[in-house]
Formats: sequence, C-alpha cells, structure tokens
Amino acid sequence: MMFRAVVFIGLCVSIGVAWIIESGAADVFLEATRPDFQKIPLGIAGIENLGGSESPEGRVKLGTRIEEILKADVRRSLVFALVDLPSLGIKVNHLGAEPDPSFKQATENGVSVIVWGKAGIKGGSKDADLSMDGYVYDAGTNEVVGGKRYIGSTSVARLMAHRFADELVFRYTGEPGIARTKIAYVSELGTARELFVMDYDGYDPRQLTADGFLNLMPRWSPDRRFLVFTTYRNRNTQDIDMLELATGKRWTLVSQGGLNITPVLSPDGNSLAYSSSREGNAELYRLDTHTKAVQRLTTNAAGDLSPSWSPSGRELAFTSDRNGGPQIFLMSADGSNVRRLTFDGDYNAAPAWSPRGNWIAYVCRTSKKEYKLCVITPDGQKHLQLTTGLGVDDSPSWSPDGRHLVFSSTVDGKSQIYMINADGKDLERITFTGTHNSAPSWSPAS
Amino acid sequence: MKKLPASYLPLILGVIVLGIPACSKKAVRSGGDSQALQEEMARGEMAKGGAAKEGTSSSFPDTSFSGRDDSNSLRGLDRNPSEERLGGNAGGSGGAGHANAMIAKADSGSAARQLAEIRAEQVASVAAGLRDVFFGYDSFSITDEGRHALSGDAEWARLNPYAQLKIEGHCDERGTSAYNLVLGEKRAKAVRNYLVELGVAPTHLSVVSYGKERPFCTEHTESCYSQNRRGHLVVKTGK
Repeated sequence: MMFRAVVFIGLCVSIGVAWIIESGAADVFLEATRPDFQKIPLGIAGIENLGGSESPEGRVKLGTRIEEILKADVRRSLVFALVDLPSLGIKVNHLGAEPDPSFKQATENGVSVIVWGKAGIKGGSKDADLSMDGYVYDAGTNEVVGGKRYIGSTSVARLMAHRFADELVFRYTGEPGIARTKIAYVSELGTARELFVMDYDGYDPRQLTADGFLNLMPRWSPDRRFLVFTTYRNRNTQDIDMLELATGKRWTLVSQGGLNITPVLSPDGNSLAYSSSREGNAELYRLDTHTKAVQRLTTNAAGDLSPSWSPSGRELAFTSDRNGGPQIFLMSADGSNVRRLTFDGDYNAAPAWSPRGNWIAYVCRTSKKEYKLCVITPDGQKHLQLTTGLGVDDSPSWSPDGRHLVFSSTVDGKSQIYMINADGKDLERITFTGTHNSAPSWSPAS
Repeated sequence: MKKLPASYLPLILGVIVLGIPACSKKAVRSGGDSQALQEEMARGEMAKGGAAKEGTSSSFPDTSFSGRDDSNSLRGLDRNPSEERLGGNAGGSGGAGHANAMIAKADSGSAARQLAEIRAEQVASVAAGLRDVFFGYDSFSITDEGRHALSGDAEWARLNPYAQLKIEGHCDERGTSAYNLVLGEKRAKAVRNYLVELGVAPTHLSVVSYGKERPFCTEHTESCYSQNRRGHLVVKTGK
C-alpha cells in the first residue's frame, strides 16, 4: 500500500512530528507517532587546529570552522541531540586517536556518542592540501568505533564537515543524511529570474542559467543529474526544459504552445508530469521519457497544475480549481480515481508529497488571508498549519529524509528561502542576499 | 506603460558582464562529488551520442533512475580509516577543487538580446498609446474601466492592421507562483477574448502569462498589488 511508513517501524530513530500529533486512529503512521522517540545525545569535543590551519578567509581557523559546520549539520540532522560538553564540566585540551579519560564522565551524564578530530594544512605551499581526521566514540561499547580521514584543497573544508556529518547519520540510522544535499532555486537578477543551486545550508550559491528573462520552478531528477523547469523562450512561449548540472547542456522536453509549467519527474525517472494549457486550459499531462508518448491525465474546464508524485510513483497530488478556489486533489498516476483532499479554507495549492509518504505539504490561505505552510496526511485525517505570521509562503519542498521542508517566504519583506522542521520547529532562513529568491527544490540524497 | 527604472540598468549590465566569463566553459572540478561528476559526464556523453538531435523534445538523455550513485555514496566509519580524497586533484588551481559539481552558465549573449528586445517593445507600445486592464483580487473578469481601455486598444488595432499585439497576464504577489501563472493566463485570455469581440483578428493577438514573476511594483501594499493585477498590452516587435 501507499503507506510506506510501515516499513520504517523497525527504525530506532523517527521523525519528530510525534509531539504535536495526537496519536490515534491511523496505525500507518507508527514511525511518526512513536512515543519513545529520542534523539541520540552526541557531543563534539572539538576539531583541533593543526599547524597552518588558517582558513582562506583568515580569521577563523579551519578546524574551528569545520567544527562549527559539523555542529550545525548534527543539529539539523534531527537524529542527534547536540550536547554541549563544556556545560557538563568536560573540557578536552588535546585529543589523539584514543578516547580521552573525560569521556567516561560524559557518558555518565547520558552522552551516547562523542566526536572529535583535527584539521590542518600539510606542508607550507600556498596550494597545499587540507587534511581532516575525525573520530567517533560510542558509550555503548566504550571504545572508538571508527573514524574518517579526508584530504583535499582548502575549498572543500565545508564538504569535509558535511560528509563526516552524513557518515554519522549513516552509522546510526542507515540513511545517507542530508548534509551533502543541495537546493535549486530561482533568483532575481535585474528583472530576470535565473536558476541557481546552493548547498542545503545556503552556502556556495552557483548560477546555472543566464538567459536574461524567466526560468521558473526547477525540480531535480531522481539521480541529481538534471533539473526540469519552465523557461520563457523568446519571452512569449513557456516551454519545459531540462538542464544537466555538470555540463550546462539543455534540452527542450515540452514545447507545444500554451502555458507549460510545474514539471516534475517521477521517482523512477520514467515519467514527467506537468501542466499545459495547449488544449485550452491548464490540464495535467504525463510524458513517457523513453517513448516520448504524452498522456492527458485530467479533463475539465478548470485549471489543473502542480503535480507531485507519491514516493511509490503510483499516485499524484495536484492543485485544481474545479470547485472554485484552488484545492489539493489526489489521483492515480494514470489519471483515474480522482478525489479531493483539502476542504478547509478556500485556497490550498502547491502540494509536495513527503518522500516518506506520510505527509503532503502545501500552501494554505488562513482565515487572516495569509499564505502559510500546511501539511495533511494522504488520507485527509490530520492536518496542521506549520508557519504563522505575515508574508506569503510558497513552494514547499521536502528534504530527502522527510524531516525538513524548504520554502520561500516574504515574511522578512523580500522573498527569501527558509528551512523548517516537519513539525514546524526550528525555522531557519538560508538566503540573505539579493532582491528575490524563490521556488526552492531540495535535491535527493546521494 | 511599463518602464524599466533606470536604477535597474547597472544591475542588468552587471549581469551581462558577469555572464561573459561563462563563455569559456571551465570544467569545474569538485568536492567528494568529483569522481561522480566525471562518471556522470561520461554517462551524459554516452546518452547524447545515443540520441542525436539535441534541442528537440524528441531526444533528451535517459532520466530513469536505477539506484543510488555508488561512486558518491558514503563509505562508512573505519577503525583504521584510509585517506579519502575530496575534490579531485591535489592542490587545485584555478577552478579546480571546488566543493560543487557544477556548472556551466548558458548563453550569455541571450540576456543582452532579451534586454534590447524588451526595450524595443516598450518603445513601440508607448508610441502606440495602448492602455492596460486592471483586475480585482483573485479575479479575471474585465471591469467597465477595463472595457473602456480595451475599446481604445481595439481602435488602435483597427488602424494598425499589420501590428501584432501581445497580451501579458500579471498577478500580485499573493498566492503561489504556479497558481498565479494559471490566473495570469486566464486574465490574458479574458483580454484577448474581449478584443476579439470588439473585432480584432485573433491571428493578430497572442497571450502569455507572467504570473507574479515580473511585477510592476514590489511593495507589499494594496496600491502596489492593484498595479500588478493587470493585462498588459505590448506591440510585438520581434518574432
């Protein structure tokens, strides 16, 4: 069945939505409703600065910087609870590859995992390599269970921290972690809107297109190689293009006249669902990426748009205004079995099906006419409003672990990109520059 | 009429200038993704070789997903960890050694061309004295004032039988990007249909929706929102 959450029952770690959801009816959500869910207490004893560890930007040493990035990654993982070791009276001055005697004291205070390491530049030349060693101590076995040794140019310092954080998540959950994921988005340059991609924490933005007009709503291919998006060719027609990130090569997937928007590849990459008004008004279509055959999925006089695949690829959530204002609907991937999902409020749009299957995020218009993020279960039994306050929230996109959402909001004035936990906690702004950043799409994990 | 504020020009020019270095497509080598990148590129080349006509919808690379990319996957903690190199070659110089497996910017000449064409359209539209139509919140029905404006536009079209008119549908910032694109198209089509009722040949009219992506005004106020809920008429000067 569609409720893949069942397969996660065996996991010792689950997402933290449990607290705000009344446990009840649906046993399909066991993963999210485990009352005994606890994050794993993890302390970072420090990443020691070895010789020559000045970062390229000066000021902060590389080891210190890697430690800061690692701490932020661990906090965002939602798998670990980051413990402040100094506040437990534990101060580690010099760390080798062996556990420090003070770790005993930490584990007596309930710390399960302690991480430490060292980083520095080998040799004196300007382009010498940065190396980082990381170690992991587990209180359960009272020993160092393993480590990593990374080497590379100083420009990959952030990647070293991210990769080490993902190794920790992988070690304790079997999941790849999200610290190396990326977010594609739209950013305004003058009056043009171009595609960009940045690290999941907002660092290292890269411009992907320079068309000088509008490129909108990018979505990742499941293998992370491509983005599909709407482009305005000659400013007058909206086509759907695909861009290969590594090479910048582009292909046109849909160019049939009319409005062609909200493309999204299926989880297996074999189908592209999108909205097109080529036959009059906006309808949903499905393009077979092998045979190039196009199948029309909806037929009515209203607008149908914003398809989002269920993780199994068997169903689609989408927006339709067939009943007046826009609402979220579900249907099978062949267009059959259409049913309405949202009934609260007169404006619900932009659905995004969680990769875990258990929630669909969307934009809901509140009674105060604010556009905020909501989530609803695919059976419609539970729904929650995640964000509050002023501003227009738009374009929710899930992290591949299903524990976070990224979205755009005008809450601070200009449209910027924000991250929030699936339970509505830990709102974090991740873009700070520019006049307009929008339409974030979170990459799959690798 | 729509005008580009002069303050935007340096920005746009900046974009154009910034775009130029991108012509020399530098292979940006990268982080732990570099090995993956090379393999990805190799795969991309193969896909391209297999499917000839790039740029048409009849051929594009295989997007099917067969599982995780092993070359980039985690290797696990190790009691005696061996050295894991991130970012390709040692001591990268130039563009090498970056943490991101990116990127080649596209067609940097395009921005300049677009800008020139937008300017030409604006000049022609201002000269024609075309009037825009404004809409209510969430609405695409044409008001009496809108009908009045369009009767003038239809008269201009009658006197200029060779002109091609483009009707742009615009929305205010409230609501989602995607739904506003659909709403913008409904607005543009409502304008087109009324012009056709007034006798303008459908073949001389085209519609495009910009949703909330090209606002005339960026304040979060009703007076600004009402400026952005618009059917904007433009004399087409290009193709």
